[in-house]
Amino acid sequence: MNPRASIWLKTVYARTWVRTKSIYGEPLWVAVNVGFPFFTSLALSLLYSSAGLKAGIGFAFLGGVMVSFWGNVLWSMASQFNWDKQQGLFELYITSPAPISAILIGMSLGGILGTAPSAITLAIIGWILFAPPANPPWPLVAVTFALTLASLYAMGMALSSLYLVYGREADSVNEALHEPVSFLSGVYFPASLAFPAVLQAIALVIPLAVGMDALQRTLFSLNSSGVADLTLVYRDILLLAIMGITLLFAASKALKILEEKGRRAGTIAVRLR
Amino acid sequence: MSYVRSLIASIRVGWSRDFGWTNPILGFSLKTVAPIASTMTALTILYIGFKNGDSIASAQFPFQLGYIVIGATLYAHISAYSWVPTLAIAEGKWTFVFPQVYVSTKSSPPYLAGRCLASFASSTVTSIASLAMAVVISLLLFGVAIPLVVTPLSIFLFGIALVVNIFASMGLGFLLGAYAILASKFEWALPTYVSGLLMVFSEALFPVTSLPHPFSDIGNALPFTEFIRASRAVLLQGSVGSYLYYLGLSFIGGILLLALGLLAFKYAETRARRLGVLDRKVV
Repeated sequence: MNPRASIWLKTVYARTWVRTKSIYGEPLWVAVNVGFPFFTSLALSLLYSSAGLKAGIGFAFLGGVMVSFWGNVLWSMASQFNWDKQQGLFELYITSPAPISAILIGMSLGGILGTAPSAITLAIIGWILFAPPANPPWPLVAVTFALTLASLYAMGMALSSLYLVYGREADSVNEALHEPVSFLSGVYFPASLAFPAVLQAIALVIPLAVGMDALQRTLFSLNSSGVADLTLVYRDILLLAIMGITLLFAASKALKILEEKGRRAGTIAVRLR
Repeated sequence: MSYVRSLIASIRVGWSRDFGWTNPILGFSLKTVAPIASTMTALTILYIGFKNGDSIASAQFPFQLGYIVIGATLYAHISAYSWVPTLAIAEGKWTFVFPQVYVSTKSSPPYLAGRCLASFASSTVTSIASLAMAVVISLLLFGVAIPLVVTPLSIFLFGIALVVNIFASMGLGFLLGAYAILASKFEWALPTYVSGLLMVFSEALFPVTSLPHPFSDIGNALPFTEFIRASRAVLLQGSVGSYLYYLGLSFIGGILLLALGLLAFKYAETRARRLGVLDRKVV
């Protein structure tokens, strides 16, 4: 095998392993990680219920599942290099022959594998407690879910390169991004039922919004006929694929530019700014 | 008197930590965006329920929006500052700030109380701003004016309710801090867990009476529930009698929670000194 490809694959494997091990090595993390999305989903389910729309409970729990991944993208992808800088790990990354892009891909795969147990647990609890009505085309759900995660983590990679130039601001920016993006993406509710067309069009630039729309349409039909509108689902799938590729490309370019700039200015491993 | 100086110095540290990295306007704006969005999420769900469900009458809807807008913004306010002591300890271990506080002649409670008060002040501004913004966005998005009672008296009474709630929030903060001072894992996650529990049990989004026993009793006993009820009584119903009743309950519950939090923290601090876990970092 090409030595560069071999190093790249080994790096991906190593970073995936570390991240996965950090979750599976301490199973209590699953219980801890499931806490906030579970209680949020439960509270919003009871709100749906008190508003006389029990059919909406599925949206609340689907939102909880996806928020687990969105939180992981923000806190364990986008701002991870910032934390690595503070621990001194980032200096090791840039002085080693390991490609940064491979480290990011490994972090993404490990993040998905590490978040999956709490997301699945949440889905099962929601299903047992409320049994929301759903009879979806499962292969389509699987494709939509995979593409949503791919484009979401690609966005995390793009953000992580951006955060390389930030210091303490990273945490505040993350806190400011989490809820507004969740709201605009219609994580806990179908945006098409609440937002005007202009707002829905603006939200289409966010991978989470496109993914949520597709998942909500495939899992819970949004029209009175009870049948999912597949034309819109296919549109969303196409958009997700385009976004995933574009964001991966953008992340790779941005990383190279910012890494080079940071090396020249000597600020790439500065811990506190 | 020296405790007051420590407290004031800690408030300044808290402000520096929150806003020192940028200008105050940008800092406040970033802190206001999140509570607006979470409040709007709850309001949007209510709107979808109103449009597609069968439980809310048209005449009731503006009042229901008011119920949610007050509950959701105050829930965000409580969450924002009750976890500050945990943050101050966990982050302080990383940045070696907390060991300096810990070994000083003063004990850590004045420092944590000061950080909590700094966060209370900024969270009060952001919560009121997000309440106002949520009312405006609701009007634009749903075309419904939320019937809030905004008079000098209601604003004054609401301000007192915010101050009274400091006892309960600080008490919760010290309780969580008691864990954080000893722990080397999960201390970052614990406040979000408790925050999630509060969303269900503090009557932020729905009456706790809709929960089954004994969960509804737990919700009824929380000072946060009474604080939110008192705020709704004065801002939504304009009922001073109900306000005073709920505020009294919130005050008593808050004092009890603060006493419990301080006791737990003192025990944890003494034990942490004995075990020498001061510089044990989160893993």
